[in-house]
Amino acid sequence: MKPRFAILTVLLSCLLLAGLVLSAQQPPTAPPQQELQPGQPPGQVTLELNRGGQVRKIKLAFPAFRSLGQLTGAGGAVRELEETVRRDLDVSGYFEIQGPDALSGLSLTGDVQKDLAAYRSTGNEVLLLGDLRVEGEKLVFEGRVLDLGSGQAVLAKRYSGPFSVSRRMAHTFADEVIRFLVGKKGIALSEIAYTADRGGSKEIYVMDYDGENPRKITGHRSTSMSPAWSPNGGAIAYTSFFNGGPGLYLADLGSGRKRPIITSGSLNTSPSFAPDGGRIAFARSYDGNVEIVVTDLSGGNLRRLTNSNAIETNPAWSPKGGEIAFTSSRAGNPHIYLMDSEGANQRRLTYDGTYNDGASWNPEGDLIAYTSRRDGQFQIAVTNVVTLESRVLTSGPGENQSPTFSPDGRKIAFTSSRGAGKQIYVMDLDGANVRQLTTEGSNDLADWSRSVPER
Amino acid sequence: MNRKWMIWMVMATLLTFLYGCPKKKPATPPSDLNVETTTVPASPSTPSTTQDVQQPAAPDVNDQTEDPLTSADMQVVNDELQRRGFSPDIYFDYDEATLSDDTRDKLSRNADLLKSQAQLSMTLEGHADARGTNEYNLALGERRANSVKQYLGSLGVGADRMRTLSYGKERPACTEDVESCWSQNRRVHMIITGRSNVG
Repeated sequence: MKPRFAILTVLLSCLLLAGLVLSAQQPPTAPPQQELQPGQPPGQVTLELNRGGQVRKIKLAFPAFRSLGQLTGAGGAVRELEETVRRDLDVSGYFEIQGPDALSGLSLTGDVQKDLAAYRSTGNEVLLLGDLRVEGEKLVFEGRVLDLGSGQAVLAKRYSGPFSVSRRMAHTFADEVIRFLVGKKGIALSEIAYTADRGGSKEIYVMDYDGENPRKITGHRSTSMSPAWSPNGGAIAYTSFFNGGPGLYLADLGSGRKRPIITSGSLNTSPSFAPDGGRIAFARSYDGNVEIVVTDLSGGNLRRLTNSNAIETNPAWSPKGGEIAFTSSRAGNPHIYLMDSEGANQRRLTYDGTYNDGASWNPEGDLIAYTSRRDGQFQIAVTNVVTLESRVLTSGPGENQSPTFSPDGRKIAFTSSRGAGKQIYVMDLDGANVRQLTTEGSNDLADWSRSVPER
Repeated sequence: MNRKWMIWMVMATLLTFLYGCPKKKPATPPSDLNVETTTVPASPSTPSTTQDVQQPAAPDVNDQTEDPLTSADMQVVNDELQRRGFSPDIYFDYDEATLSDDTRDKLSRNADLLKSQAQLSMTLEGHADARGTNEYNLALGERRANSVKQYLGSLGVGADRMRTLSYGKERPACTEDVESCWSQNRRVHMIITGRSNVG
């Protein structure tokens, strides 16, 4: 359904663009037109996205954006927009980008059609151009992608909005470029929920996927923790102590309203949404014995899934809904277990390490990342639930904990104490390209939205 | 005798305090919250159409909350019990919720004192050290608090006088990353919090 829709719309836009863009802005040429399909970058290169394997990157020329007229009043918005597109495309890992510095050696005329060969001469396959101008109080951004083989504009988008949304424009465009050239859904508009202690109390925050634009979601002035996105990104379930013992609450991100989900009993923690958005798995105490339970969003229809004398906690509902991963100490130490979502077929997943906890599924549902103590240090590990093959992704000083997969499954955000205090970092699935997302206060317990949040 | 009088006076103040306590108001966010969000269409469009990009409005986060109650009166009761030999904290081994012999001795003295003051109810706070995840440590703290509750119960302290409350590693007594500090955090803290219904 979705791929077909995407192909249709892409074809449609190609047709429209061929007429509009070329006639309006470029001298008409009649090159043999190369039809670009999603997932098929220029030059008939098949992109390999095998997670372990070497990824073939698209070579992208990305000169500085052009400013059309006076950008009066735009302040830093213009530079911010360009930098954000650059960073989005760079950290996506899909592109090998030649920026203004790399391109400065080329003798360019400024006429795109005449410069195609020059851009191609350094190996580039596609060219990204951006124009910015100010209309009243609004910033107008037009981004285009040209196939350097044919000279055709294959993608052209125009965005308009107040200066304050320049980053959002950039993210929107970057995801369009990725969707068009790679055929994958980008993550530039995804968001990360987390806890932050920035003034004496631990509150729930949400930031953009790149660490920008942090905003406070709760103001309970207590301890609020374990944020869990609803599947459509419209709400966050969390644990809070503000009304006594740890209870589960739901924050609606559109209205800002919070309401209790379940607060009876002495302990309700660690929520995880079912992919249908209508149920939550969590940990609840039965006379001091913490077990995995499922409830609806009103705290009704409680259904207890585990029944052992050990600790069971931290459930993580699988993306397809059929299974729930959880932590149990039934073997003496905490380890990750799997069960089906009705509680049957409980089985142990992890054997390495002496303390495994905090499972996070990748969107495909074949990998689980978790916190694993190895040689006395907490590290991020990943286990394939089918092959049971495991890998440790982090090392070095400090503790690494609480992993969460990006919505495209290609990155993991986690908490580390490697630098100053506890901060949230992101890395690729092989542990490379670590970047720090937070700097202020103590930050922890990241949960990456499953898609672009709707609101 | 003097001491008994004092306890009763404290209890009287306490009751006044508890009943005079402000009731929590329901959180009522402003009804005129206007969230302006334009979602950018998923389908590609040509430059002839311009997408209006807007930031989702930031909702009000000033939740209605109250600071946890602190009561000077409760402090007097707790201090008095400790003068009589009540141990407010008992400690555990790493990732353990079982009670050591030394711990059992302390708890049995606590139980005697609690039985002699049947009007007092108590919160058993379960705590854990900083190692491990927040969620697992909440479960561990709950388990520790419940171990104490079970044992005190077996010594004749009514279960309805004891409430467990796990803080996991969220309220450490000591914040350095060394064993001497961790061991202080692996604890159940017993605190008199009110008057039990059964008196």
